Amino acid sequence: MNNTSQTIRVGLFFLLGLALAWITFESLNGGRIFKQQGYTLVAGFANLKGLKTGDEVRMAGVKVGAVKLTRLAAHRVEALITIEPGTKIPNDAVASVEQSSLLGSNYLGVTFGTPTNPLLQDGDEIKTKPTVDMSEVIAQLGSLGSKLESVIGEVGQALGTGGENGNLFQRLDQLVTANGPKLTETISNLQDITAKIKNGDGTLGRLVNDPKMHDELLATVTEFKSAAADARTFMADSKTIVADLKSGRGTIGTLLYDETTAANLKISMQNIRDVTTKINSGQGTLGKLLADDQLYRDAQGVMKKADRALDGLSDQGPITAVGIVANALF
Amino acid sequence: MKHLLAIIDSIGCALVLLWRSAKHLGTLPRQFPRFIEQCYLIGYTSLPIVTILLFFIGCVLALQSGYSMENFGAKQFIGTLVGLTMARELGPVMVAILVAGRVGSAITAELASMKVYQEIDALVTMNIPPERILVLPRLAAILVMMPVLTIIADLCGWFGGALVSQFTHSISVDSEAYFTALKAYMKPHDITDGLIKAEVFGFVIVLVCCHIGLSTRGGPREIGASVTKAVVTSLILILVLDYFVTKALLLAT
Repeated sequence: MNNTSQTIRVGLFFLLGLALAWITFESLNGGRIFKQQGYTLVAGFANLKGLKTGDEVRMAGVKVGAVKLTRLAAHRVEALITIEPGTKIPNDAVASVEQSSLLGSNYLGVTFGTPTNPLLQDGDEIKTKPTVDMSEVIAQLGSLGSKLESVIGEVGQALGTGGENGNLFQRLDQLVTANGPKLTETISNLQDITAKIKNGDGTLGRLVNDPKMHDELLATVTEFKSAAADARTFMADSKTIVADLKSGRGTIGTLLYDETTAANLKISMQNIRDVTTKINSGQGTLGKLLADDQLYRDAQGVMKKADRALDGLSDQGPITAVGIVANALF
Repeated sequence: MKHLLAIIDSIGCALVLLWRSAKHLGTLPRQFPRFIEQCYLIGYTSLPIVTILLFFIGCVLALQSGYSMENFGAKQFIGTLVGLTMARELGPVMVAILVAGRVGSAITAELASMKVYQEIDALVTMNIPPERILVLPRLAAILVMMPVLTIIADLCGWFGGALVSQFTHSISVDSEAYFTALKAYMKPHDITDGLIKAEVFGFVIVLVCCHIGLSTRGGPREIGASVTKAVVTSLILILVLDYFVTKALLLAT
């Protein structure tokens, strides 16, 4: 093998290797290893959450650049991001660290912003917003889980390994075991009852199965209702009456609560007693009338005379007879 | 104790050899044809075996990882796995192992026979340092050729994995998704780390093989013994250094 062809082959081989290496780097990193294109923005964060050099910058999910450098600044971390030329980012666009998968690769998401706003220039700072860290969410879930666990543990303790009387289930079990026959009986009774109801036997059965019964019941209930309403108005009236009575209004009220009336009444009763006493002892006209039969005999004589007079004046009117009787009496 | 001393002695001799070779670095342009010849022997003629071997390593890597990743639904990361594994680990290491077997053994056999048949002594007599014309061009050639071989090996492995991922029924990850996943998690320094490792391995292989070849004493039987020893030492050094170089590179990033 002559020397020239060997040299050519080695040269070609070496160039092939260089070309392949270049293509690999180019496709992996968009040619960044050779030239830095576009413009640079600064994004300040409280926490970068693992965003690192070479991670993508995406605007609405489309790659528009890459993170060039991350560095610590005073009380924050800054990511220098390189934006491809031709990408317009307004000054109210907001950058945030996003996770592209649960396995933890991050990217810097940039919102559109308002298109009419002035555009960010090289070296400007882009607005940022903190994002919820997946690990924080998971930590919260974890504390929630431990709380749930304690609650469920308490419930389980209440149900499972209770106090000296055994647990709830055990007690239930004992109850059921002890009362087994009774429960069976009760249930069979219930079964009978429901069967009867279903067949239309008995009052309840008829009530359930007979529409007429139902209508009647409805009417009865309606009447009950109206009666109850009446009773209510009656009660209201009674209440007002009682109230009146209490306040001394009306006749009974006066009678009950007015002392002058009572005094008057007492005096009247005294008078009546006096009068009856006099009558009993035959004093006065009435007393004589009752106690003295002289008057009776006089009256009888008068009646006899009147009778005779009537016999004589049979053609005269009854008024005259009454007038004669009255005259004789008084 | 004796073995330990022998090992330390070998290391010292190898370093002395390196130092003597490096002293003649200025003569390299005058030895350009020799350098090219070594490049041809080390790099160009290794290309077919590197291509074939690494292609099938990529294939089998995709096949195995597809089989095991299916269990937890991470099939879309086959590209990432194959890409990173090839670039960071298997590319450089497999190329180094191939070079140790194919080139290192040849170097040791050549130098050992030269030593046994007193050609080296003749060179020394003519006041031509054997390090200058025998060791330095080889070291230079392997330093130039290892990255080329490794990048070709990486790409062959990636394409092998892509083919298998696409056309194996149980995996069925099309090559676009495969390369998207590969690119998504791969950084340029993953490739450069692999290339640096390959350089270290190649350099160590050639140095060790030259040293063992040049320190051969005796007759033709010792030539075979030297070749065996050179290849075994190279393989051990490759895998031991692999760990430490990888660790150092990971710390550096």
